[in-house]
Amino acid sequence: MSAAAQRRAAPLSRARRTALGLVLPLAALIAWELSARIGEVPSYLVAPSAIFATTWEMLASGELWQHTRVSLLRALGGYAIGGACGIAMGLLAGIARPVERFYDPVVSLTYPVPKIVVLPILIAWLGAGDASKIAVITAAVFYPTFINSLYGAKGVNRLYVWSARNMGAGPLRVFAKVILPAALPQVLAGLRIGLALAFIVMVACEMQNSRSGLGHLIITAEDSLRFDLMYAAIVAIAIIGFAGDRLLLWLRRRALAGQAIGKEGAHG
Amino acid sequence: MALLEVRELDKVFRRGARAVQAIDRFSLSVEEGEFVAIVGPSGCGKSTFLHILGGFEPHDGGTMLLNGAPVRGPGPDRGMLFQEFALYPWRSVIGNVAWGLEVQGKPKAERIAAAERYLKLVGLSAFRDAYPAELSGGMKQRVALARVLAFEPRILLMDEPFGALDAQTRELMQEELNAIWQETRNTVLFVTHDIDEAIYLADRVVVFTARPGRIKDEIRIGLERPRRADVRKSAEYMAYRNRVWDSLRAEVLKAREEFK
Ligand SMILES: Nc1ncnc2c1ncn2[C@@H]1O[C@H](COP(=O)(O)OP(=O)(O)OP(=O)(O)O)[C@@H](O)[C@H]1O
Ligand SMILES: [Mg+2]
Repeated sequence: MSAAAQRRAAPLSRARRTALGLVLPLAALIAWELSARIGEVPSYLVAPSAIFATTWEMLASGELWQHTRVSLLRALGGYAIGGACGIAMGLLAGIARPVERFYDPVVSLTYPVPKIVVLPILIAWLGAGDASKIAVITAAVFYPTFINSLYGAKGVNRLYVWSARNMGAGPLRVFAKVILPAALPQVLAGLRIGLALAFIVMVACEMQNSRSGLGHLIITAEDSLRFDLMYAAIVAIAIIGFAGDRLLLWLRRRALAGQAIGKEGAHG
Repeated sequence: MALLEVRELDKVFRRGARAVQAIDRFSLSVEEGEFVAIVGPSGCGKSTFLHILGGFEPHDGGTMLLNGAPVRGPGPDRGMLFQEFALYPWRSVIGNVAWGLEVQGKPKAERIAAAERYLKLVGLSAFRDAYPAELSGGMKQRVALARVLAFEPRILLMDEPFGALDAQTRELMQEELNAIWQETRNTVLFVTHDIDEAIYLADRVVVFTARPGRIKDEIRIGLERPRRADVRKSAEYMAYRNRVWDSLRAEVLKAREEFK
């Protein structure tokens, strides 16, 4: 191997990897700030420094945290319920053919429907409070976790199950100690998609019908042309979404210690 | 009555209109404590036979009696060593070896101690905390061997257990298995492609025909026990070797003809 090829193959250090990921967002921020200061930009492109100032102000007054807290409550409530149902029913359908047959047509039929359309119906039923929003988020999170758990359980190498039964393991143990860990990579993939959906649907619900939350903040800021406020809310959403995703990835690395080895694709 | 009685066993794999007869009216009886080696061309149904015997795969015709009762499903009396190892990627090496004992409800200290003993036997103590994905093919195979030995089944079903090993390790493992058998007198069904291994280890060598698998030949190996490694140099041994090889050769050629 040539020296150049060797250098290329050497893994990046941790610091360099982080730096590489920061290049694009930083460049975009600087370009944005500069054009907002120098050039003529429309009023809805508020300079990042102004957004930062507003965010800071709202954090200090506690207002941003107020909205973030209600939003988080709704998103995580729906995420927990939808995720738990999705995983439990998905794994069950993955190991029991009749259960899969039972759910399959309903799931295929309702999966493509945007879950937000049922919000008005749920409001009529559950009221305009948190419950109806949590219900919509629950529905949105359910699908990706159900489908991924289903295929995770269906794809378990039959030899894993055979070898467990060979040693005398009963169905419960096979499920807990073989199916579950073997399907875990897929289950976690479903949970990751579900998390992003939970935030998206949360904002959509709050923009449509709410008196609190980050989505509500965005829509009222837009209406009153307070674009700095709108961006502050968007930044808050981005940050909690990012933090949640990183947390899941960290959990994934810990939980899949043995299974991730040698499976990092072309990145080596 | 023999420990294992297989009579007129049939197995057909079907998918849609396609049907593959893997095993055709296969009969075999195995005595308690007997070491039976099974040789045959690739694809003749050896693994399938062990899977049926293990209770994993159903069969289509014939009977299979274990201790006089039909085989209904898998059980810890028959320890299966799969050709593909089937180690759990989410468990460390020691966790894999201790798994059978965990299922049996042995206390933790006891199963770790037993697992460590068997890991030492296969020469992998240094890798106790590694994951299977970090092992070579031959190392995985030895972990699988330790795992099946650790839960001490009465009958061992071994599907090419040394197939992935280098020649030297393979010989060491053969001697190790020979010593274990000498001590435990387990009943063993041992599938292999290695004629020398079959003769050195077994009381009887069963030759499968090309697919569909049937019994072509059964050769009783009268070499004195306990067998030492240098038995392989004796004239008696060479005579058995020629005998098995002649029998197998015709079937291997037939199987190759079919693949063309
Ligand atoms: N699950 C399956 N579905 C369909 N056909 C199968 C299946 N398993 C095995 N077969 C077929 O049955 C035949 C016997 O397969 P088997 O794995 O028992 O062969 P083998 O004797 O163990 O071969 P090898 O020495 O290469 O391991 C082959 O023709 C194979 O294609
Ligand atoms: Mg095989």
